[in-house]
Amino acid sequence: MTKLIATRLSETPGLKTRPSPKKPLLKRIAKGGFVAALPFLAPALAAYVVFVIGPMFSAVRLSLYKWSGFTTDKQVFVGFQNYVRLFTKDPVFWTAVQNSVVWVLLSLVIPTTLGLLMALALNRPVFGRNVFRSVFYIPGVLAPIAIANMWRWMYNPNYGVISDISKALHFGDGSGVTFLSDPKVAIYAIFAAFVWQVAGLNMVLFLAGLQSVSKELVESARLDGANAWQVFRNVTLPALRPTVVVVLVLTIVNSIKVFDLVVGMTGGGPAQKSQVLALWSYSQSFLNHDFGLGNATATVLLLITLVLVIPYMIWSTKGNED
Amino acid sequence: MSTLTMSRRTNKADAVARPRRNVDYIRIGLWIALAISMLVWAMPLIFVVLTSLKSENQIFSTSSFSLPSSAEWANYAKALQTGNLLTAGGNSLLIAIIKVPVGLFISAAAAFALSRIKFKFSRGLLAAFALGSMVPIQVALGPLFRTILDLGLLNNPLGVILPYIGFGLPYQVFILYGFFTAVPKEIDESVRVDGGGNLRLFLQIILPLSKPALAALFILDFVSTWNEYAIALVVLQNKASQTIPLAIQSFQSQFTSSYGPLNAFTIMSILPVVIIYLLFQRYFVQGMFTGAVKG
Repeated sequence: MTKLIATRLSETPGLKTRPSPKKPLLKRIAKGGFVAALPFLAPALAAYVVFVIGPMFSAVRLSLYKWSGFTTDKQVFVGFQNYVRLFTKDPVFWTAVQNSVVWVLLSLVIPTTLGLLMALALNRPVFGRNVFRSVFYIPGVLAPIAIANMWRWMYNPNYGVISDISKALHFGDGSGVTFLSDPKVAIYAIFAAFVWQVAGLNMVLFLAGLQSVSKELVESARLDGANAWQVFRNVTLPALRPTVVVVLVLTIVNSIKVFDLVVGMTGGGPAQKSQVLALWSYSQSFLNHDFGLGNATATVLLLITLVLVIPYMIWSTKGNED
Repeated sequence: MSTLTMSRRTNKADAVARPRRNVDYIRIGLWIALAISMLVWAMPLIFVVLTSLKSENQIFSTSSFSLPSSAEWANYAKALQTGNLLTAGGNSLLIAIIKVPVGLFISAAAAFALSRIKFKFSRGLLAAFALGSMVPIQVALGPLFRTILDLGLLNNPLGVILPYIGFGLPYQVFILYGFFTAVPKEIDESVRVDGGGNLRLFLQIILPLSKPALAALFILDFVSTWNEYAIALVVLQNKASQTIPLAIQSFQSQFTSSYGPLNAFTIMSILPVVIIYLLFQRYFVQGMFTGAVKG
């Protein structure tokens, strides 16, 4: 019995027909209502509206204005002009879109599969299991900006470990291998650090999900002559389905957010070829002082997120029978 | 039923008896594969530790795998002196120590209202919170900067604490909502019959019962607060207010080629989080457990 986060939506008390209290006295005391809920909700609502929802709406509004971001400058309404500029005159925007899309697609496959393999390997008694688990998981608790620095050093063309390995394998021309300064490769080099960071998180989620796989079912499938792959395919994987969905959704959300790693490793370069949407929005607002373009990019990012996430939320509020 | 399981057991014992040696080879193979993957996974950390202990000469002249001939602790001293590490560490600690408990309490109160008090729009509110946990922070970064500027909180710890509370809410509310809903409703009625109100139900019953979830969220939130970069980047702009991630970034852009101190700095900056992980390991698993996939 595995529940997804969002299935809880449907369990909200307001919707359930609860057994009505027998005594009218109880009914009166327990009535509740929004007034009773307000003192508990107010601080959260205030923080959420002022610092999360408010700024998001502002971002959408500001995407329709021309503004440098400085208090002294005026905001001038320009309609959809920022979007027109973004789509037609900003080649970096399309690079960023492409990189973000590639990033999401790759991360749906690579760190997820790795995490699943780690979990499957460690879901049985193995000598040193806790050490394995910790080593795989620890990158996930480190600050992405620290990870960026570690990998930047590993990619160092002269003294880095990856360069040394490439030389030892006689890869390239022996003059040291460039990864982060190669416009074609940089984004994938950063992605490798991302894989290192998140695979262990996926492993932990899969390990949790594997607890819900019925041991008896696995055993009886084995007795029926199923081999390891068949057991995995027909017993384990179906039972893991809710976990797989959670992992994929979290992966999408985390991939769209990628920011620190790129800032720390390339800053979007060389020649903006490793830009991603989240960083490009920031760069336009804060480095180019073009809040209009920056917020138009942010709005695009918001729309992409909603398009990807809302179907999941609808699915998970409806599909309780899983 | 019992005979069935019995016969299965014996069947299995028979079946397993012969290919035992095979199974062991597979096990050993698997273990070696795991050990190799673990080494690959640990390599970045090992490599950074090695570099942090080497002198400049050694870094430039020897292979990156070689062990340092003698530990160059001066790298650490230099990183400490020049890197603003202690100030930044103090700032990060202060921010986390205020943000985490306050944020968690606010989330818990909201989750309590959503799960225990019946009102009209609770479902819609919960959905609104849920959605918020999925939208990237960067969408709001520009306007958020303006808000903080208008509040006069630039370069002030409060300027990040408040947005951190806002952005931390959705996830925590969600997790705690699930946890609170699992507490039997009969408890509410018994408290109310005794004349207790919502506040008493929340503080004396629900919160104490939810200690495991709260502890797990506390640890997870501490780590993500410690690591946060984007909001800190736009709000904390002077050196005195820097947090650890900002200090890492500015150290690395300032001392691009002093590799020894740079890596010593990285090690020292991640040490607190690694220690917290090692001490509270089970909470991480638990937090993700209660978090994403509730059994």
